[in-house]
Amino acid sequence: MAVPKRKMSRSNTRSRRAQWKASEPTLTTTVERGQVVHARPHQARVVTDSAGTPLYLEYKGRKVKDL
Amino acid sequence: MPTPTKGPRLGGGPAHERLILANLATQLFEHRSITTTEAKAKRLRPFAEQLITKAKRGDLANRRRVMQTIRDKSVVHFLFTEIAPAMAEREGGYTRIVKIGPRKGDNAPMAVIQLVLEPLSAKQATVREAEKATAASAPAAEETPEVAVEETDDTAATDAEAPAADAEAGSVAQPDTLPEDGEGKA
Repeated sequence: MAVPKRKMSRSNTRSRRAQWKASEPTLTTTVERGQVVHARPHQARVVTDSAGTPLYLEYKGRKVKDL
Repeated sequence: MPTPTKGPRLGGGPAHERLILANLATQLFEHRSITTTEAKAKRLRPFAEQLITKAKRGDLANRRRVMQTIRDKSVVHFLFTEIAPAMAEREGGYTRIVKIGPRKGDNAPMAVIQLVLEPLSAKQATVREAEKATAASAPAAEETPEVAVEETDDTAATDAEAPAADAEAGSVAQPDTLPEDGEGKA
């Protein structure tokens, strides 16, 4: 079995990990009743009540799924 | 006709894929709407729609062919007696896939696949009626029915759009009315 000959330095480890980057999600921007709303394109969105409790998923004015 | 599936099977083997698709289709017909991953939903769609097409033909030979994949007799009965008549007016497009975002745990993209059991919209129904009317009256007189058909189409289109817009506004506005109620109670 192949084994590493030398200990990986902290510098090399951190240089490698510095390349891990989060990619930006693509979002759609719409204005609903004066508020700018960002959402994932072509995806159902969560409808919540006043307290922020999720009620159901909605897409194109149609209820998709209860939560 | 869907194109043959390229690449690896679902679940790791052809037999496993057949089992997965048969089970998913059974659950879909039983519950009308199921949540699964996007990849499985996309594979399931043509599979389930072919079964519905067979159910719409409704004879014994087609029932036996459906029984080869769906082994639950009660589900097959439900498919032939409830789902197939509901889809009678529809020419394909029996299922709908809505994406609902990644799953917690493995970040797999999830989707809801459901049977489209709503009746055809008023617009589609009137268009079909008009086409039938033109086909029937075409040999007799060609010019007069076409004018009538165009008029009905226009009115039907406006009628169909208005309720749809109302319904959308109502469903979206509902959550916003709740905060006012909450403040009133407090």
